[in-house]
Amino acid sequence: MQYIKITISNDPANLSVLRETLDRFGAEQGIPSEALIALHVVLDEIVSNVIKFAWPEGGAHEVLVRLTVLDTGVEVEVVDDGRPYDPREAPAPEQAAPGSRPRPGGVGIHMVKQLVDGFEYERVGESNCVRLTKQCIVGARSQTEGPNDKRRA
Amino acid sequence: MTNGGLNIAQSHSGQICVVTLTGRIDNTNATDVMSRLNTLIASGEKNILVDLGAVLYLTSAAFRALLVATDEAERNAARLTLCCVMGHVRELFEMGGLLDAFTVLGSREEAIARLG
Repeated sequence: MQYIKITISNDPANLSVLRETLDRFGAEQGIPSEALIALHVVLDEIVSNVIKFAWPEGGAHEVLVRLTVLDTGVEVEVVDDGRPYDPREAPAPEQAAPGSRPRPGGVGIHMVKQLVDGFEYERVGESNCVRLTKQCIVGARSQTEGPNDKRRA
Repeated sequence: MTNGGLNIAQSHSGQICVVTLTGRIDNTNATDVMSRLNTLIASGEKNILVDLGAVLYLTSAAFRALLVATDEAERNAARLTLCCVMGHVRELFEMGGLLDAFTVLGSREEAIARLG
């Protein structure tokens, strides 16, 4: 079982470190580009929510992210020691009033639910543990193909 | 790629200001998109076309930026239009339920012909 573990501090700038790590892991392991895109989106949504909301008192904290290749796909685990929070219970996006533009609140988690095949949450001791799984066939694509290879249509 | 995986370029086609986004739009750089669009609106641009054809993916942070900029455009009697919303990017707009929240046209050429 191949995995990579990365710990970042609760600074949104560090989301770029996660993005680069996922790109590298995806290329090394041969994660299909469609699944890799889904993983990029869910990682950005989940970890940015943790950074914004897990520690209302502020201060320096850490978020642990573990990416694991499974027989059936990829698992993303996000662990923080912030206040208890199950992201699956985030309110659904509000319906826009007729004639007005919708608000973006709740859209991120709503997208996560559609992008992954498994979305679990557990409070373990003093930590929140979110586990997301994306089913895909890993290792089948070219090692040189990356998400930047998208051609302009 | 600059700006954390996102490049923002702008050009003019007649009175239309075309903003071309290339790469990924996420929580690390969506505010750059919002700032650029708001700066253009503040500078008096009245017809802004955002070309998303070279965007690999976007997250809800991008939707927030585009919604805020669209509101800002309306407040300034300007309009903000999206074009080339295709593939994964279109799917993500649909997942977010936000495709109808914007004026979305087809190709850049079609959009320029419609808006010009």
